[in-house]
Amino acid sequence: MLADLADRIAHAHATRTPLRIRGGGSWLHAGRPCEGEPLDVSALSGVIDYEPGDLTLTAYAGTTLQELDRITGAERQWLALDPCAAPTATIGATVATASDGPLASTFGRVRDLVLGLECITGTGERVRAGGRVVKNVAGFDLVRLHTGAWGTLGVITEVTMRLRARPEQDDVFAICADDRTSLERRLAPLADLPIAPLALELLNAPLAASLGFEPRLCLLVRLGGNAERVAAQRRALDALGDVHEIALDRLHALRAADPTDHLVANITHEPSRFTDTWRHVSAFCDAHALWQPRVRGSIRRGLVRVSIPMPDEGAAHVGEWASFVRSIAPPGAHVTWEQLPMHAWPHVPCSVADRISTGLRRALDPAHILNRGLLGEPT
Amino acid sequence: MTRDALAAHLRALIGPRWVKERTAERTAYDADALPGYRALPSLVVLPGSREEIVSVVRLLAAHGIPFVPRGAGTGLSGGSLANDTVVIGLNRLTRIHSIDAANHIAHVEPGVVNAVLQRAVAPFGLLYAPDPSSQAACTIGGNVAENAGGPHCLKYGVTLNHIAAVTVCLPNGELVQFGSAVSEPDGYDLCGLFIGSEGCFGIATDVWVRLLPVAPAVRTLLADFSAMTDAARAVSAIIATGIVPAALEMMDQATIRAVEASIYAAGYPTDAAAVLLAEVDGLEAGLDADVRTIERCCREAGARDVRIATTETERARLWQGRKKAFGALGRIAPHLVVQDAVVPRTRLPAVLDAIAAIGARHGVNVCNVFHAGDGNLHPNISYDADNADESARVHAAMSEIMQACIDAGGTITGEHGVGLDKLGYMDALFTEPSLAAMCAVREVFDPERRANPGKVVPIHACREWAGRAP
Ligand SMILES: Cc1cc2nc3c(=O)[nH]c(=O)nc-3n(C[C@H](O)[C@H](O)[C@H](O)COP(=O)(O)OP(=O)(O)OC[C@H]3O[C@@H](n4cnc5c(N)ncnc54)[C@H](O)[C@@H]3O)c2cc1C
Repeated sequence: MLADLADRIAHAHATRTPLRIRGGGSWLHAGRPCEGEPLDVSALSGVIDYEPGDLTLTAYAGTTLQELDRITGAERQWLALDPCAAPTATIGATVATASDGPLASTFGRVRDLVLGLECITGTGERVRAGGRVVKNVAGFDLVRLHTGAWGTLGVITEVTMRLRARPEQDDVFAICADDRTSLERRLAPLADLPIAPLALELLNAPLAASLGFEPRLCLLVRLGGNAERVAAQRRALDALGDVHEIALDRLHALRAADPTDHLVANITHEPSRFTDTWRHVSAFCDAHALWQPRVRGSIRRGLVRVSIPMPDEGAAHVGEWASFVRSIAPPGAHVTWEQLPMHAWPHVPCSVADRISTGLRRALDPAHILNRGLLGEPT
Repeated sequence: MTRDALAAHLRALIGPRWVKERTAERTAYDADALPGYRALPSLVVLPGSREEIVSVVRLLAAHGIPFVPRGAGTGLSGGSLANDTVVIGLNRLTRIHSIDAANHIAHVEPGVVNAVLQRAVAPFGLLYAPDPSSQAACTIGGNVAENAGGPHCLKYGVTLNHIAAVTVCLPNGELVQFGSAVSEPDGYDLCGLFIGSEGCFGIATDVWVRLLPVAPAVRTLLADFSAMTDAARAVSAIIATGIVPAALEMMDQATIRAVEASIYAAGYPTDAAAVLLAEVDGLEAGLDADVRTIERCCREAGARDVRIATTETERARLWQGRKKAFGALGRIAPHLVVQDAVVPRTRLPAVLDAIAAIGARHGVNVCNVFHAGDGNLHPNISYDADNADESARVHAAMSEIMQACIDAGGTITGEHGVGLDKLGYMDALFTEPSLAAMCAVREVFDPERRANPGKVVPIHACREWAGRAP
């Protein structure tokens, strides 16, 4: 299977045939322009090596997150990564797109959790980077290079991830207060509370409503650890308002893939500017009459994620796409678009146009066949 | 260009004081902390600012002259050795440009010493997590170049996990920034790629390090065992409970005795086969429950005794023994080779046995002091590098130890880098196409291979790739 895949890529290299890599397929709906014959790697699936005592797991790239959850869960362990994704999303695509979620503030982003990988370069060479141990500095760090490269530097075929033991207790609490209190006043006490949450997310009213909460600004706090630690932190939360415990699977709803007709963006800025970023994004949606945007924020990370329903007629409110895709983020912040209509993507600034990035692309995919166009790169 | 002419150019750029030509001056730069290797640089240049680094590198680029960046020279893999090459020393760049306490980020020059940074951020209730045992001397630039680790990296991660951005002077003199200090950019993770590049991709001129709040509470324990393998089993048992200790360090009897015989004596029991130093930190609530769990794991694995530090002085003393263990071992013989390899945690008992057997077979004394929670071994050998026979036996034992670690599914270095010392093992670890890909990546940064030439990837692998490149 791997040899066939390598041959196919080598052949595509020789004939300069663009390939479009497909894992679980959920990203294909993000609207990103990409040329090429489909190269399906979802069949490349299954766990290769899992020694619970080592807290590492090696799997083929096409293994689904759901499957990994099941296998590690049986050992009371987990891959502490919670990206918004369909259950069929694969670990290979998760690494390739560097997708993460609320847990990243505590457990790290994908780049912090991948220990090694194998991939096939654009010339059909099978290349290994990193390893199966939790610490490794042998050779240049091609693991980080492929993480988040969207398959443009190689088709990831196998990954080794760092796992964690599941916390003894893992509870989620919601604090929904009335919207008249200012955001600053609501968040200010957080800084001094003796809590170390696994995740700390702010949800706006439409998002809270879509999850079945009251349609109000809502703070979700996920606490983990031994019973004593969770109980003490739970008590500390009282300073924030009325605290409701919610079932963990309610939180899982946050992980659902965004509907395909939504615009989705992640905006990051300094954590100290979180409320400014939040307000800018909300005001932006208001100004464009984009109704019911679902906004959530990882407070400690300075990240605001927005998902905007965009039925066809909605596009009329957008105006110029070129300024739209940039001005959703306040000055100095960075916006990473996840979903956009196809015709909007060319307006997203290309982040791999610098000399080093283009050089890396040429070095590892000289015929420029892997996911061509996906990163808006110059051809 | 002759050496004299080059020196004259460089003096004009950065001032005569900062260009070292005399043999006596250059000899101070002829080694790092890897024993048995010496290499005399042709010149040593000490720029005092980012702009001076750029002008020096541009001059060298214009004349096709190779160079080796150097921090404090505490590297253990020969990374900053420069044989008849120009050394660019970064020790004068010691400014901490800013500490942003609200966003937990500091912007520093590459020559800032790790411990100096720690002291500077402490008043803000912050710390920089990577804490190599050499932190009193090693520089942030060197830490970035080696992706340095330390005892507390078990919970907090290595240098890679704590660098937000770097400004790099590429080997052609171009200044670029990788990563961002204020947001999370997309595109290729060039910051991640640069970390651990051992001076081969250019010189880090600015580093934005992430800081963490100092944990409100901490507990330190020392467990002692009558067998190394018991201690190793305790490590697995602790990790399996789900507790992530801030540190979990092991020392064997030879190390304990060296420490106790030195001025760093920490009160470790000298009749123990191994001690485990464990630390947990975080919120006060629930911490003692974790301590009890760890104590139980140790006792069930056969610990003779478990001691919990009750005062800050006691805690500092327990740590001092660990942090100064290399220094103590260094007193036993003229030279100390500090090895570095990683194995899956569950393989620790078997690999420790194998290491002991290898040492015995070659008649060398291996002492182990290491980051047990990560499976990151440091088998060390005290010896006399000037004794040819002993050196040969040490080298033979070390390569067998490396092979044993590779065979156990591990790697040849967890934090000290490949440099020159580990070049010979790269073929055993990586396939030819994997090494070729590394060379190809390096050539993007440095097409002329002038930055720290001959390190990290064996040269034959690069020739291979050159033959195949389009
Ligand atoms: C007693 C002792 C204990 C140690 N303990 C640890 C430990 O616990 N964990 C650990 O990880 N390491 C440890 N080390 C190894 C060493 O201290 C680290 O590798 C450290 O990061 C090296 O920093 P340095 O400033 O001394 O760099 P140097 O030795 O001067 O250089 C190391 C490498 O970095 C490159 N370099 C230096 N500065 C730059 C720059 N600004 N830009 C680009 N490249 C640069 C050099 O070319 C070289 O390849 C220990 C060493 C000793 C002697």
